[in-house]
Amino acid sequence: MKNIIEVKNISFKYPEQSEIFKDLSFEIKRGEWTAIIGQNGSGKSTIAKLIDGLYQPMSGEIFVDDLLVNEENINKIHKKIGLVFQNPDDQFVGATVEDDVAFGLENQLMSTDEMHTIVEKSLKSVNMWEYRERVPESLSGGQKQRVAIAGIIALAPQIIILDESTSMLDPLGRKDIIDLIYRLKQELNLTVISITHDIDEAALADRIMILNQGQLVEATDPNDMFSNEDKLLELGLDVPYTVKLMDALRQQGLDVPHRYMDEGELVKWITQLK
Amino acid sequence: MDNTIKIDHLSHLYDDGSNNPVYALKDVTLTIKDNSYVSIIGHTGSGKSTLVQHINALLKPTTGELSVGDFKIEPKTSNKNLKKFRQHVGMVFQFPEKQLFEETVIKDIMFGPLNYGKSESVAEQLALEAMDLVGLDSKLAEKSPFDLSGGQKRRVAMAGVLAMQPEILILDEPTAGLDPKSHREIMDLIYRMHIDRQMTIILVTHQMDDVVQYSDQVVVMDHGEVVKVGNSTEIFNDPQWLIQHQLALPSNAEFAYRLSQAGYQVPGNLDNIWQLAKAIIEVGEVDHE
Repeated sequence: MKNIIEVKNISFKYPEQSEIFKDLSFEIKRGEWTAIIGQNGSGKSTIAKLIDGLYQPMSGEIFVDDLLVNEENINKIHKKIGLVFQNPDDQFVGATVEDDVAFGLENQLMSTDEMHTIVEKSLKSVNMWEYRERVPESLSGGQKQRVAIAGIIALAPQIIILDESTSMLDPLGRKDIIDLIYRLKQELNLTVISITHDIDEAALADRIMILNQGQLVEATDPNDMFSNEDKLLELGLDVPYTVKLMDALRQQGLDVPHRYMDEGELVKWITQLK
Repeated sequence: MDNTIKIDHLSHLYDDGSNNPVYALKDVTLTIKDNSYVSIIGHTGSGKSTLVQHINALLKPTTGELSVGDFKIEPKTSNKNLKKFRQHVGMVFQFPEKQLFEETVIKDIMFGPLNYGKSESVAEQLALEAMDLVGLDSKLAEKSPFDLSGGQKRRVAMAGVLAMQPEILILDEPTAGLDPKSHREIMDLIYRMHIDRQMTIILVTHQMDDVVQYSDQVVVMDHGEVVKVGNSTEIFNDPQWLIQHQLALPSNAEFAYRLSQAGYQVPGNLDNIWQLAKAIIEVGEVDHE
């Protein structure tokens, strides 16, 4: 599959701070779901901002859909990428749900009719159409994130970056947003990058990248990643619940296969013990 | 001093602009024992935050009353009396690092003690102790809090509350947005405060695994009411009930529930992963015999 994002030998530092990235390179394939995990301060969120062109690397190049990320291309880059941030309150700009989604479309030179059609379609796709006249204060965090996602979908991006977008939500709100993104990814053929601390969320990805102090220490699929749990724990990260349970079962003498199983698979495997 | 918290038929009404007063809290009666570790759970909007804001005297009841030791808050209590009370009850808000504002870490942490009338030197001493407690290197004292990492900022904010030496500590989602390692460190720190300093801990959280691991008592809220109080075994032994109240299950209980749905019943107390693993193996063996 073709790469949609190519990060080539970039270095980056914030003013008056030490270097975060030094010669960092990686690619992301079109249509893949990639999770980026790592400790606070590992550079995860900075990556998102570099890809979106909000910051410029000191050296090296980033390509998004074959387009070099620079000032000249910034508007084209922004059209290709939708960013969902952590705090739902920080991204709500309209007075009502409908206005908020329409806001992003206003400088797109389209007719009012066309705009209404897109707003309706986008809100329906996140199941928020019936809330269109509501004000942000009357919505839950999860509902606000849905509206933010509708605003992004309305602009028809190719890539969605979730920057800890579920970390302020309760467990059900979290699951809801992840299920939604999963569905939208299939329907709209999106590339998804999720920056997260939630290892169970990362386990859903096609590929997981670990950042540690600005270095890419590993990039592989969940099966591979979770077969080496010591490494994750050493890096201050967590392992999925099923990995911990398989470990506990092994230590009590049960012969459990040495491969990653998600909850459904592990339940199935256990039921055949009887 | 005995810091038992007694909440008696407390209701809190607010006007949402439609002239129909809405109950944020409805007839809440609850006792929280001195030196206990209590978790308050409930879905978003269930009234958890409103309840703890009463315990911190940030809100006054519309009807009913609340007392902590000898101190009582009623609808008619004057605001003047609340400040002294708040000194005993520390509150760490959600994403507390958003409230950092001073030029240096030490000044930020000293703000609370100074505000409650401590001298500059005493405040500084308290601030340094608090930094030590939360695991912040004293070399960071003169740094700007804004130059620190997310996990460190959170610690500075917590140190600011601990420097006031509260006897009751309320924490609203203290580890939201932190990486797993910082999460464990902050939860350990809170537990140490509880054990070493006999602090009463009131934890508002969605993280059910923490609820099981740490709390003596669990309070479940829904629609502004307390719907269940018990220890974690009592609260989590009824998955259906929790799902009805839009609550997540702790990992072990959740997995056991999924097993039972698949026809593999695992009995007993499943507070930790070892007990669950053992029970899974036993069920498998019994059926082979």
